Amino acid sequence: MKGFFGYNPGNSILHRLNPLTKIVISIGLCLSCFLTRSHIVILAVIAFNLLLSASAVGLKRSLKMLLSLVKFSAVLFVVQVFFVKQGNVLLRLPPGVIYITDKGVLFSLLFALRLIAAAMPLSAMLSVTRISDISNVFVRSLRIPYKYAFVITTAIRFIPLFSEEMTNIMEAQTARGVQFDTKNFLKKIRLLLPLCVPLLISSVRKIEGGAISAELRGFNLRKRTSGYKTYPFGWSDAAALAVCGLIVALTVFV
Amino acid sequence: MIRIKGLSFRYSGGVKNALSDISLDIGKGDFLGIIGASGAGKSTLTYAINGVVPHYIRGDFYGEVVVSGLDTVKAGPETLARHVGSVLQDIDGQMVSSVVEDELLFGLENFGVPHGEIESRIEESLAAAGISELRSRDIGTLSGGQKQKVAIAAIMALRPEIIVLDEPTGELDPQSSRRVFETLRSLNEENGVTIVVVEQKIMLLCEFAGRLAVMSGGKLISEGRVKDVLMDADKLEGAGVNIPRVATLARLLRKKGLYSGDTPADLRQAEAMMREVLSDAAV
Repeated sequence: MKGFFGYNPGNSILHRLNPLTKIVISIGLCLSCFLTRSHIVILAVIAFNLLLSASAVGLKRSLKMLLSLVKFSAVLFVVQVFFVKQGNVLLRLPPGVIYITDKGVLFSLLFALRLIAAAMPLSAMLSVTRISDISNVFVRSLRIPYKYAFVITTAIRFIPLFSEEMTNIMEAQTARGVQFDTKNFLKKIRLLLPLCVPLLISSVRKIEGGAISAELRGFNLRKRTSGYKTYPFGWSDAAALAVCGLIVALTVFV
Repeated sequence: MIRIKGLSFRYSGGVKNALSDISLDIGKGDFLGIIGASGAGKSTLTYAINGVVPHYIRGDFYGEVVVSGLDTVKAGPETLARHVGSVLQDIDGQMVSSVVEDELLFGLENFGVPHGEIESRIEESLAAAGISELRSRDIGTLSGGQKQKVAIAAIMALRPEIIVLDEPTGELDPQSSRRVFETLRSLNEENGVTIVVVEQKIMLLCEFAGRLAVMSGGKLISEGRVKDVLMDADKLEGAGVNIPRVATLARLLRKKGLYSGDTPADLRQAEAMMREVLSDAAV
């Protein structure tokens, strides 16, 4: 989770772009893979995404992100491929009712590739943009009330805190002899369910503390123009947007 | 600076008073430690000073709390916040950002500190907390002690006259705890900030605080200079406070009639006490 959404500090061109530009580009790249039905074009978009991401956070990290997406889409591919009944049968599984067709494979492949191509730019954008910068630019440029921006940034910030809390509770229970490492999946769920109550209570307490702390530091006094950081729109932003526009246009016409 | 008169508070829905009939004066530049067993009302007392009680947490409020000349019931918490900075118990929960710099910016931006002044304030308070090198770090990757210093720096940047801290070392190891208290001491001595700190570690309070307030069952049972409060060891034990071993030693020596001076607050003073006792015994 952290690897996928986490911010990666750096000073690349992508890091330095206006947050709004990065959001527009990532949405543009997402859209581009839905505008085409060609596998090759989508593969090209994926390659471009990988290049972008590698230029900012390094090839190793980008490949890791791609790999986790490939794994996820592979599962969806397998699920999807059995549902398309049209086309020539390629493979029939023993009972006879379940079969795979050529159309099914092509369609599911498109589906899986689109998923990868759509998730990559979002993940790449989040790895080069601080959540706080995104929320600042939303408040300043898009005039979204600070309250809502704060809710979203807080929600994202609390995810790792909650998972840490959950680990703590699980460790405490393991120490009392609860076997969370059971192979039986249903049993594991049954063991985990009662942990929701303490997790909920400690989370609510944490959030309450956060709310008090924010209010004691003048949360309610904040105005749209309170933000200290400014996000200028420069030539590099214009150039990046132009490149992105070109790619979207290409996917439509190729 | 802080005047509390006949303060009682009961949380709405509560059966017992969380605070009953508390009167306490805290002067400018004081370093006051509040100690007591859990449930003694220490946190509630800090809430009464920073206005969380009765503004955010409701209940029956009797008596009067005046902070920097402001009645906490009449003045809103935001007005109070310009005078009192608060560091809460939960280290992670009280952070509002994921980067150290943004955490400091939050308060500065909200209170409308002129943008030209912000940079110097950030640098200054990070330096005062001794964490200048952490400025662009992700808060999630910091240690507990570092996070606590970030919380203190974020409050420092707002330049309050008073800082109220609720168990700032609750989740810290002894070494980090000391560092946090050293930071507090330098704020107190160099910047003249009044410090009110709830703390369970009595040895730390004895060493760093100038005054001590002992709470038990919502009441203030003892208050004064550290060595005076330590004199009444029975009262402290009754309140569930572990008195320092040097104070126990002084009590035993006093009972035997071997010693009649001040109760030592740290090892050095204890050494002086023992030298005195031994030289008397040699005569």
